Amino acid sequence: MAAVIDLNGVAIGYGDSAPPVLVDVTLSVERGSFVAIVGPSGVGKSTLLRVVAGLHKARTGGVTIHQDQRPAHRPVGLVFQDARLLPWRRVVKNVQLGLEGLPISAADRLRRAEEALKLVRLDGYARRWPYELSGGQRQRVGIARAMAVDPDILLMDEPFGALDAITRNNLQDELRRIHRETGKTILFVTHDLEEAVHLADRIIVLGGTPARVVRDVKNDAGRDGSVFRDQVEKLRLEIADNYSI
Amino acid sequence: MNTRTSLSLSALGVVAFLFGWEAVARSGVVPAGLLPSPSAVPTAFLAEVQRGIWQKMVVASLSHYAVGLALGTFLGVTFGTAAALWRVWDAFQSWVVRMLRPIPAIAWIPFAIIWFGVSEGAASFLIALTVFWINYYASYSAVRGVDKDLIELGHAFGQGGLIPRLFKIILPGALPGILSGLRAGLGQGWMTVVAAELFGISGLGMRMMEASGLLATNIVVLYMVTIALLYGVSDFLFMQVQARVLSWQR
Repeated sequence: MAAVIDLNGVAIGYGDSAPPVLVDVTLSVERGSFVAIVGPSGVGKSTLLRVVAGLHKARTGGVTIHQDQRPAHRPVGLVFQDARLLPWRRVVKNVQLGLEGLPISAADRLRRAEEALKLVRLDGYARRWPYELSGGQRQRVGIARAMAVDPDILLMDEPFGALDAITRNNLQDELRRIHRETGKTILFVTHDLEEAVHLADRIIVLGGTPARVVRDVKNDAGRDGSVFRDQVEKLRLEIADNYSI
Repeated sequence: MNTRTSLSLSALGVVAFLFGWEAVARSGVVPAGLLPSPSAVPTAFLAEVQRGIWQKMVVASLSHYAVGLALGTFLGVTFGTAAALWRVWDAFQSWVVRMLRPIPAIAWIPFAIIWFGVSEGAASFLIALTVFWINYYASYSAVRGVDKDLIELGHAFGQGGLIPRLFKIILPGALPGILSGLRAGLGQGWMTVVAAELFGISGLGMRMMEASGLLATNIVVLYMVTIALLYGVSDFLFMQVQARVLSWQR
């Protein structure tokens, strides 16, 4: 399978002189895969996502995004932990944010925004203001906004971390469905092992000081009860080994 | 409390204030020349309107006000935003701002007269100056206060260039703060109108000066009430516009 992104020896640090927090990340993400990056907080996983999104500069190493040639799309769609909607834009206008500046007509922008809202089951909410939505609905809008730009890769930064358990479960199921229906490549950052095992078909574990990739496993546990528990337990032990430095 | 009760309470407050004032004036505790009674104001109003003075003064002051307010607001918001956006520019102008800021507009009156003469321009200049500083600082802190996460959001979705960043993220995000600066300028502007006209530029302030020279205190009060009403109306209209513009707020 073809890779969508290649990371080559990426190291991440903050400021100019502080030692790097994450080093030597070399990996490629295959088209259509659902990859989770797990690790404790402070390990630099969110920053790694920002490096892929072009919002943060890597200390060393390179990121290559193998862009598809289709017109009017953006290479990455980013979903934040706090839905991060523009409060002065109605839902449909928020979803169009990434489409502005692309060479498409206003009518096409609207059509694509409406399709994205339908994908996250929020058709009918187009004219609402963000403050009128629940936390889960806002996060759906955030996903729609990222999907509307038809990205080569969907980057998600602990998108369900701030939601209550029931809403989180719903949205996890929705995300599985969206992945199935659209075949989008997803890179998903979380500190929640169960979430990673539940969602992803490949799990990359970061750990150590400075952190590096300590495990890169194929995950087919899915939601199958005992297999699921085994997989979570197995990974938990491995991670524990790597954290107790 | 619903809007109706709060409106009637406000009306009641005004009526009570006028009654109290009238009572004090009629009681003879204070000599009539020192404190005109509010009931003397309508007579003065009719006389001034019949001679066409009231209308002329209101129009003159309104035009000074409008020009000064528009100019001061535009420049204040522009310079305040620019200083908040560009650190180099901010550092370059910060001490100039510090030196000029504490000088009140009325201290500029001599220069206003030297530069513009006793003219409309001088009054507008002084009003613009007052309004400028209020808007400069309001915009500066409003732009500084825009959520950095929203700016990052803009970068992530292709809106990181100066123009989209400014018009899609920063200015809308700073708008509530900028508007409260505008509103403060609206009030402060009226105060400066009077001060600016005291030295002979035609308008409400000049007429008040003339009337007080003749000890016609009822006319002075008439123009005080006029200014209060003009301010009240402009502030009310502004609030209506603001409520519409910020309807996205909870």
